[in-house]
Amino acid sequence: MTHLTMEQLLAVREPDTAPGSAAARAHLAACDECRAELARLEQRVARLRALPTLVPGRDRWPAVRAQVQAERRWHRARWAGAAVGALAAAWIAAVVLRPPAPAPVVTPGDEIAAARARSAALEATLQELQPEVRVLDGRTARIAAELEERIAGVDRTLQAVELQRVEPRDARLAELWRERVGLMDALVDVHVTRAGRVGL
Amino acid sequence: MTTRTLAMQPYAVPDAERVLARARVGDPSALEAIYRAFERPVYNLARRLCRTTEDAEDVLQETFFEVCRSIARYRADGSLWGWVRTIAASKALMRLRANKYRDADELFEDAAPARRDDAGLRMDLEAALERLSPTARAVVWLYDVEGYTHDEIGRMMGKTPSFSKSQLARSHEKLRRWLGEEEPA
Repeated sequence: MTHLTMEQLLAVREPDTAPGSAAARAHLAACDECRAELARLEQRVARLRALPTLVPGRDRWPAVRAQVQAERRWHRARWAGAAVGALAAAWIAAVVLRPPAPAPVVTPGDEIAAARARSAALEATLQELQPEVRVLDGRTARIAAELEERIAGVDRTLQAVELQRVEPRDARLAELWRERVGLMDALVDVHVTRAGRVGL
Repeated sequence: MTTRTLAMQPYAVPDAERVLARARVGDPSALEAIYRAFERPVYNLARRLCRTTEDAEDVLQETFFEVCRSIARYRADGSLWGWVRTIAASKALMRLRANKYRDADELFEDAAPARRDDAGLRMDLEAALERLSPTARAVVWLYDVEGYTHDEIGRMMGKTPSFSKSQLARSHEKLRRWLGEEEPA
């Protein structure tokens, strides 16, 4: 009598998926040796499953965490850099490279009022983002600090110009307000980008 | 990935839903909770497939780095352990390939030929498992212990289901011989 091969014995353990297993089962019913072989196979598999769980010799979580944090820092820096770069390019395009403007349709006073309103709206947005309670990575924090410093500088100049009586005072004020709005935009963007990256 | 239910171990994260929600937004303590819940079974799987403890520890680290990066994309349509385990198995098999262990399989075959005197060897199961070639051991472990199907193993290894079946059969023949389980003639 030809006994079942190991492959056939293994297939018998999967009657729903293995083709030809009905014939193998018929042989098995009539063959003591193959039944004993199948029992040994079952016992071997049971012993494999009962082998002890091997445990790592050292804790790898600190290494995993450091790897994750390093990747996040890299992504944040890239996003912040890209955002600031894009804003700077937009600012240059809008302020420096803009074509000669046609005859103004608004007065400097109107422009100052609009820029003040826009600046206040950006301040409110920034307030909502609560930048003071967030932890920024080194590079993003440096970019934010630089922008804040430049805004403070513009504010000091604004105060000085507002005290002046010489013309063209309004044109200078409008220019400073435009610059302040641009810097505020960049600062808000840095914090929005950061909040987006941590899923807040 | 559908897996034979017989060997699916009930590893789970306590308070899984809340931990998962926090892990998805990058909360480090939630990610650590997932690591702690699955650290041992992942290492055990890696160690059974890899040849050295160093390789297994590297697979453990690579697996959880991938889990932390991808947890936001985990759709929860299967068990979290099943998802983590598939990543671990994939990383371990990649390491086997990277180390060219598969190329060395022939050397293992040469080192463990089917000899008559093997019958009296009577190794213990751990030693016999270790003696199998890396590919054969991976198939045995993934099929008999982890409960993957031959289709799944074939896909993970870049081979056919028949390859998995024949590797399993040959491995059991060797294990039987090395464990001294052959019937006396």
